[in-house]
Amino acid sequence: MVERESPKGKRVSLFVTCMVDMLYPETGMSVVEVLRYLGVEVDFPMAQTCCGQPAYNGGYREEARKMAEQFLHAFKDAEVIVTPSGSCGAMVCHEYPLLFENDPDLREEAKRLASITWEFTEFIVDGLGINDLHGRLPQPQKYAFHDSCHGLRIMGLKQAGRTLVGNLENATIVPWDNSETCCGFGGLFSVKMADVSGAMLQNKMEHIEESGADAILSGDVSCMTHMNGGLEKQESTKRVKHIADVLADGIRQGEDR
Amino acid sequence: MEVQSNNFIPAARIAIHDVDLRTAVAMGTDSGFVKRQAVMFADGKAHGEAIRGQAAAIKRNALNKLPDLLEQAEAAMQENGIEVLWAADAAEANRLVLEIADRHDVHSVVKSKSMVTEEIGLNKILEEDSIDVLETDLGEFIVQLGEETPSHIVIPICHKTKESIRQLMIDKADMPPTDDTDEMARFARNYLRQRFLDADMGVSGGNFVIAETGTLCLVSNEGNIRLVTSQPRVHVALVGIEKVIPTLEDYATLTQVLPRSATGQTMTVYTHMINGPQRDDEIDGPEHVYVIFVDNGRSQIYTSDYCEALACIRCGACLNGCPVYKVTGGHAYGWVYPGPIGAVITPLLVGLENAKPLPYASSLCGMCKEVCPVIIDIPRMLLDLRYDLVRSGYTGLDWNMGMKAYAFGGSSPRLFSWAGKAAELATKRFKLNSLPGPLAGWTDYRSMPSFAVKSFHQLWGETNGDLEGADEQ
Amino acid sequence: MSNSREQILQSLRRETQPFPYAKAPSTYLHMVPSGDLSPEELETIFVDNAQKAACIVHQPASQEEAIQTLLDIVGEDRKISSWEPDQIPVHGFESALDKAGIAYVGEDALVNVGVTGVDAALAATGSLVLSSGHGRYRSASLLPPIHVAVVSRAQITTDLETWLVGQRTKGLERMRQTSNIVIITGPSRTADIAMQLVMGMHGPRELHIILID
Repeated sequence: MVERESPKGKRVSLFVTCMVDMLYPETGMSVVEVLRYLGVEVDFPMAQTCCGQPAYNGGYREEARKMAEQFLHAFKDAEVIVTPSGSCGAMVCHEYPLLFENDPDLREEAKRLASITWEFTEFIVDGLGINDLHGRLPQPQKYAFHDSCHGLRIMGLKQAGRTLVGNLENATIVPWDNSETCCGFGGLFSVKMADVSGAMLQNKMEHIEESGADAILSGDVSCMTHMNGGLEKQESTKRVKHIADVLADGIRQGEDR
Repeated sequence: MEVQSNNFIPAARIAIHDVDLRTAVAMGTDSGFVKRQAVMFADGKAHGEAIRGQAAAIKRNALNKLPDLLEQAEAAMQENGIEVLWAADAAEANRLVLEIADRHDVHSVVKSKSMVTEEIGLNKILEEDSIDVLETDLGEFIVQLGEETPSHIVIPICHKTKESIRQLMIDKADMPPTDDTDEMARFARNYLRQRFLDADMGVSGGNFVIAETGTLCLVSNEGNIRLVTSQPRVHVALVGIEKVIPTLEDYATLTQVLPRSATGQTMTVYTHMINGPQRDDEIDGPEHVYVIFVDNGRSQIYTSDYCEALACIRCGACLNGCPVYKVTGGHAYGWVYPGPIGAVITPLLVGLENAKPLPYASSLCGMCKEVCPVIIDIPRMLLDLRYDLVRSGYTGLDWNMGMKAYAFGGSSPRLFSWAGKAAELATKRFKLNSLPGPLAGWTDYRSMPSFAVKSFHQLWGETNGDLEGADEQ
Repeated sequence: MSNSREQILQSLRRETQPFPYAKAPSTYLHMVPSGDLSPEELETIFVDNAQKAACIVHQPASQEEAIQTLLDIVGEDRKISSWEPDQIPVHGFESALDKAGIAYVGEDALVNVGVTGVDAALAATGSLVLSSGHGRYRSASLLPPIHVAVVSRAQITTDLETWLVGQRTKGLERMRQTSNIVIITGPSRTADIAMQLVMGMHGPRELHIILID
């Protein structure tokens, strides 16, 4: 992964991701709320669409490059990019330099954007050095964390989210043996290999029921949509929530004190 | 072995609904995975990762020097009295074995587990030549009884429950009915015992060949490799060309990281270093030892961008860690090598057009790379293979068109937001209850996702970035 | 045949190395980080690991007791397979067998007990190194259901890495002479049947180690 400088004091451009944009805009709002609470200046390049990961993962590199070019264009004035997704973050940080390595015009810009992109929780903890939002949940909650694969294994995300949520009053993090087991989403794998994806989801849901948590937290709405889709279809009472929404909840409650 | 990898999706569907298979595979892989974690990190995470780095460097250094190492190994083995042969492909490898069998008047063969011999279909060739072939590894023996194929690189019958194994042994080997695992194993031991002692030729694979000393190295737990390589008067070992390593020090690392990764053992029960046939001052051991270096597509991989796939030491750790393998088992992959490494080397060895689904049989979770003792970047190679499939025209028209539309829409913020709006209308107002075209499989297992009335773009635009008073409806 | 050899080697000659940044390790980490150990520590670790590998370890107080232990294992049998007594580091082995009326042969598939010495014992994994050679029959540690290995304490070394380095300092002579070396870690076993561990598959099901000075 490309080396990243400290993002302290810099303006953040939100890379909201296509799924948050279209399915969970409230999660995008949570991200902005938390960042502004921390005194970060946040803007939103309206020209952004999708990072192109689904096409890239499908082997459609030309199509992925087209969307990535739109991304490079949209974020051309960005100083720091923050995204509420480990997998989309990994796409920009890890794959964009490779995607454009043979393009003399865009190679440097791709590397530049890779070097300024942060996932939301690591931005706060590792980037800004903030561990505690001094927030409070309205009710005691037990949370188990799902470590999304790309975030975990490519971006190295593990502790940041746990630290931030763990420091909320009324929040308890329960250990979960299967936090690192793939939920079976895998992007278009979820439909291309639907039966396999469904079976992996079945295993994950069993683990969710065994976790002893009130809710599962994830840093990726992609995994979340897949797991919640299964939990809802199975009429389970358990759900997966995005970390940003819990943190935003926590600071709202904290502020009301 | 016949290639049926293009059948992965329907084969996986059948496997997924086979409760016995799911139970057996989960048990086998969970056990292997947990044990691997425990032993690799017994002296701390940092040490375990350092060992992986060392093993990875060793294999890559060996691959850098491969042709020279092969020549060095050949010379050293010949000096030790081993006859070294070379097989460009499966047909030649089989022919060489038949010639050796003919030369030594061989009528019966005992075999230890060798994936290379599965690859070339050796057993069938020997049987067609009226040579009796008996698999001696307990798992392979049971596979042979059931006329099946192995489903895991290390645990051949990973897909079978104890009950089905028991029934097979009763039906095909006349085992007296028993539920006791000890008795079952004892029965197999006795069944195979005399065959070991009477067989004319032993056929094995090879885990490593040490170039500096010309040593053929093998690992096992059962003791069958010792018997196969000691009792018969002729021993033939088939070894993939990528198995040669430079030095004894390299060997010490690899022969210990292999069992740690495969079964969680610090050493297998038997770690063999075979130098050659019976010496003048010995009374046992084979009179003739042959090593056949098998290419069968490996040199092609060597000169491609996928050379790293040849670093594999066939430990099976990636299978044990893989959440896909856990629900499909090995047979769905349709050929000799299943799981993550199988998804990579099958198309490379049998041709992309014969294994089109395999590079897609992964969520790219990366667990395989995390547990691989030589740190093979399997996810990277799967991504590259997918690109190869697209470029070669082996992907479906619906996906191709869908991706073009997606890229078209994704390059324009306006088109993109229209697409989102259209999806919201379709699902909410027109109650579309499944996704279109190739995306239809979503609702087989999950409820429909709910598109927002207003996208984030829209909310930001409407409030000029304020978002405080945003009206989400 | 040599055609294929040339063809294969030729096709492996690349213009550039596949892994230009890879090098052989300059120092090799040992699989088990042991550090410097005293002979007593080595012995304790060896016994511990051998037992973990399901070996039965005997530590007789004297050579006579060692012989007695051996005879106890042989029990009522009157025939064993064995290495030549001059290859086994215990005194009076041959005469004790003679006195007890126990015959020994190099290779016999029907006896219950096989007796050997070892080349070395590896503490880190509880393993025994056995090389074939004059009077050192493979079958004795392979065919009988019970294998008894007589190990002298001086033969215990740290691990495989250390033993191989030792071989190298001796010019790899033993490696050249012998037809094969086997490193044995416990009795034979399988878990192929639904992951249930069964001791004693094709090789011995009991491995006794008699540890003497």
